[in-house]
Amino acid sequence: MKTYGSEPGAPTPDPVQVGISEFYVTDEDVTLKSYGLGSCLAVALYDDAVGVAGLAHAMLPDGDDNDASEENPGKFADTAIRAMLRQMVERGATYTDVEAKIAGGSDIFEFDSFGEAVGKRNVTAAREELDKLGVPVVAEEVGGQRGRTVEFDAGTGVLTINSSDEEAGGVTEL
Amino acid sequence: MKLDVNALGTFYRMAREGAGLAAGRLTSMTGVQTRVGVTKLNFMRGSEIRAEINDGREKVGVRVELSAGLEGHSIIIFDREAAREVVQTLVQDEASGEFDEMDQSAVTEVGQIMTNGFIDGWADVLGTVIDVSTPDFIEGETAEPFFGGLETAPSEDDLALLFHSRIEAVGTEIGYRHYLLPEHDSMSEILERQSDDGSDGIEYDKLVGFDELAQQGATEVANAVTTLTGIETSVDIRRLNFVSLETIPEEIADEKLVGVAFSFDGTPSGYLLFLFDEQSAREVVEATVPSPPDDEFGEMGTSAIKELGNIMASGFLDGWANVLDTTIDHSTPEYIHDMGAAVIDPVVINLGEDQEYAFVFDTQIKAEGREFDCDIYAIPNEEDLERALNDLDVDRVEDAKTTAEFPVDEAESS
Repeated sequence: MKTYGSEPGAPTPDPVQVGISEFYVTDEDVTLKSYGLGSCLAVALYDDAVGVAGLAHAMLPDGDDNDASEENPGKFADTAIRAMLRQMVERGATYTDVEAKIAGGSDIFEFDSFGEAVGKRNVTAAREELDKLGVPVVAEEVGGQRGRTVEFDAGTGVLTINSSDEEAGGVTEL
Repeated sequence: MKLDVNALGTFYRMAREGAGLAAGRLTSMTGVQTRVGVTKLNFMRGSEIRAEINDGREKVGVRVELSAGLEGHSIIIFDREAAREVVQTLVQDEASGEFDEMDQSAVTEVGQIMTNGFIDGWADVLGTVIDVSTPDFIEGETAEPFFGGLETAPSEDDLALLFHSRIEAVGTEIGYRHYLLPEHDSMSEILERQSDDGSDGIEYDKLVGFDELAQQGATEVANAVTTLTGIETSVDIRRLNFVSLETIPEEIADEKLVGVAFSFDGTPSGYLLFLFDEQSAREVVEATVPSPPDDEFGEMGTSAIKELGNIMASGFLDGWANVLDTTIDHSTPEYIHDMGAAVIDPVVINLGEDQEYAFVFDTQIKAEGREFDCDIYAIPNEEDLERALNDLDVDRVEDAKTTAEFPVDEAESS
């Protein structure tokens, strides 16, 4: 999704805010940030060797069954991961060197109308897609009943998670 | 004039594309990186638009007349201070007290560049050509100089469709308001062309009726809060928005919030959320619990907030059901105490499986001289809403009373 009114040569904002259904790929040393993930899932991909990173803020699990994924691949965990990986390779990442970290996918409400917990389904969909693509999930902080804000340091590949759960210390680094 | 979701989706894309182009051109003109913030379509009454502009602050604006593919007027209004900042960025001018000729022409230029960005974006989405007149520079403190004498300006009770977007420069927001006042026939022609063949759409008049009812619902909620807590509250802002689902969480403050969420079922079905900032939630607990606990968000506080939520939800939804002549049941309350967007994204996701856009009935309740803010989000399921509105007898709205009463035992028994 085109959200930045950027012109050639304009500086990259830092941090880059990655909104719901968006993803962002960069080879610059910037922070990618997604606020207030509930059932949404953050997927962070990183190639340590060349320093190419990407962060997706996916909303739903399965884009292959949904026509909207063509126009907006970032909305779905599976299509977001594929689109992001493709762009990372275009920026010089090596397919087999990319590692993944995931966070989010909680299930805060228990309404009858919600059916099967979508937070869990998002996590499952991401794991399956990454597995299919041979991208290892090296760390994760998922599930539960709390919201999370994530910051992904595109220079180092460190994913910092601020959680509303103070008992868990509030901040986790993956 | 009929609105269908497909056509509104087109308008929404117009708003977003237009803001994107406007931001891009500002960036190339000023060298300042800009980003498009939240984009919404608002339905607002003429009286509300005027009230919004009549806030006592000095404003400057740029107005153009549109013709060909879209007829009407486009007006960009800056607070004078914001305009001055924009001008300073542009012409590196030291601030002087007056808006001199050079400042005026700089503002007009910015306004025109933004307007052209918006309009090129709209024309792209509509696949048409839109002609633009030379811009007028306007100054004033009230709506009169900006809207006065325009045939397209909405009368007091008419709902106008407004394009609402924000452009943020790095570290600061470029404060402006943008009003598109389309000419009625031109608008209905576009709506018709963009509508989905299979869809019934919503009669525009019914939307007006429903908005009226939503207003009553909001007033009932404010009354309920006052009855239960003794805190004098009133409806501060109320908007009927049409937005892409992704926009809803983006708009929510990035701080810890306390909320009560309900799902409701009937015609329409959907979700209803009441969100308080922490301080307001504390006020609620202190006002309703006889001997307030040390931890306001412990068990006792939680149940007090849920209770209040329950009463508010009944008031709100009874209002809807009365006017729509349907039955709407709501779930038991779900309590949330979590960070900003996380409290609403599960609802957005759930609706997102079947729809791209949503009508959001967005209401803010405030108390005089006290820390009590409550944001109400009512997000009906799109198909249900369309059905409910089409069955709506607009004349009934006039007569319908929101008869909801708030016996305290109702809260305790839930």
